Amino acid sequence: MFIHSQFEIVENVLLARDTYRLRLHAPDVARSIRPGQFVMLRLPGTSDPLLGRPFALYDVAFDNRQQPAFLDIVYLVVGKLTGALAALRPGDSLIVWGPLGNGFPAIACPHLALVAGGIGQTPFLACIKAVLGKQSYGGLQSKQTVDKVTLCYGVRRAEFLAGVDDFRAAGAEVFVATDDGSAGFHGFVTDLVEQLPRPDRLIGCGPEPMMHRLALLAKEWAIPCHLSLESPMACGAGICFSCVTKVRTESGWDFRRVCVDGPVFDAAALVFED
Amino acid sequence: MNLSVQLGRLHLKNPILVASGTFGYAREMEGVVDFGTLGGIIPKTITRQPRQGNEPPRTVETASGMLNAIGLDNDGIDYFLANHLPYLKSLPTAIIANVAGKSEDEFLELAGIIGRHEGLAALELNLSCPNVSGGIDFATDPALTYRVVKKARDVCPLPIIAKLTPNVTDIVPIAQAAHDAGADAVSLVNTFIGMAIDWRRRRPVLGNVTGGLSGPAIKPLALRLVWQVARHVDIPVIGIGGIANIDDVMEFLLAGASAVQLGTVNFYDPTASVRISGELPEALDVLGATSVAEIIGSLEWRM
Repeated sequence: MFIHSQFEIVENVLLARDTYRLRLHAPDVARSIRPGQFVMLRLPGTSDPLLGRPFALYDVAFDNRQQPAFLDIVYLVVGKLTGALAALRPGDSLIVWGPLGNGFPAIACPHLALVAGGIGQTPFLACIKAVLGKQSYGGLQSKQTVDKVTLCYGVRRAEFLAGVDDFRAAGAEVFVATDDGSAGFHGFVTDLVEQLPRPDRLIGCGPEPMMHRLALLAKEWAIPCHLSLESPMACGAGICFSCVTKVRTESGWDFRRVCVDGPVFDAAALVFED
Repeated sequence: MNLSVQLGRLHLKNPILVASGTFGYAREMEGVVDFGTLGGIIPKTITRQPRQGNEPPRTVETASGMLNAIGLDNDGIDYFLANHLPYLKSLPTAIIANVAGKSEDEFLELAGIIGRHEGLAALELNLSCPNVSGGIDFATDPALTYRVVKKARDVCPLPIIAKLTPNVTDIVPIAQAAHDAGADAVSLVNTFIGMAIDWRRRRPVLGNVTGGLSGPAIKPLALRLVWQVARHVDIPVIGIGGIANIDDVMEFLLAGASAVQLGTVNFYDPTASVRISGELPEALDVLGATSVAEIIGSLEWRM
């Protein structure tokens, strides 16, 4: 069950190069959405683009009565819809449907490491706040279930780093990697992960090669690992069967819908193409 | 206002259906769509055996539309009967099962199995999925269409709907063959075969290379085919193709459709079906009509 409605934009601010944080006044969605879930966004009054696009929950913000009222989405301008989003101003509206997807599993362990590549950091702010007991989501009681959260966050160049202050303020220890060495570790974020103290659990979100490497690392370390997948979607709601990924089954593998069976999957269940 | 329509032996409380493959198994839309406002629901195509479907990417947006090549991803009829049918039967609307066979015998078998189950309103034969390699596109041939519909009619007591492909030179003889074989209605049209290319990578966009085009882009094409079949063949027509609002519905009804199926719009406007069925009485009133039946095929033209 999800909400499908039009909501007003209250903020649309630049966080980093081509990267914005959109705040929507969407109390119905804000009340029920949990970390790791996503929403579909679409422009009202146009059929170009025609289909909605999926965006991870960045965070839920509260109104002055301390009620969940706002939905924060962080997006990178990559195509037609995100290009149009960047031109929107407070007072403009968007069509939203959500909350969608399964969200992150319950996590209780001493040390959780989150690994993000590209724009894959966006689902992790709410995750950090939830596991450190800093904020409640979806009407659940907030409770600290993790002692320490590390975020390893890799981007092409320093100018793309978006939200690092938010992650630190939420209580995560943040390590940065860049492809060109312009900030932090010079190289792949997965190489950075290998150099840091071994965590008890991993969660990853980023490009496919990063996810594949992380799945192998988790296997080698024999620790649980969940991956939040990105996929083009037509509906986000499980009715079109577009956004499938290969998941292991008793008899081999089958395609599963990223939108309803994911976007968060146990890394050990995913089949990666070599 | 009488919104009900009669298509052969099939009675629907209103003409707004949701198309197979665009509404999952309905459960996904629980709490979002008030199923009772719909004339009927057609769940995703069922095959005899489970099918994994095509490699992703399975869909891509194109100008005012989308290409899809899902490849009939489904868990097979045994799974459908055990896991989806009980839920579907509990919904306050007509449920029309949609099946696809790889051969005439498989269609016969599927129709026989569906026919033995209570609580379904009709059987739609997917004679025209463009994305299944190795399968036969039955609805490109009048004789094949006749044989499959006839066999289904013989073993299944439910009203039979033949879903036809637009990827033919002339759809009229195929609709005529469905009629002659005893189909209660034809639904037209399935998707138009198309393709998309990512020239920078020198690759087709879709995992299946080609796919079926749907959405507002195909509405004028579908409308013309509905009009053509409705005037030449004495069989109720269910119009499908890019229908996204009440105006589109009215256009199809006037062109001769007795009912319509909403498809791609369910993806990008998930509550469109409820809104459109709610707007139908007012639109009929604009034409001074008091029933859907009286406006079906009421288009006036000179040529």
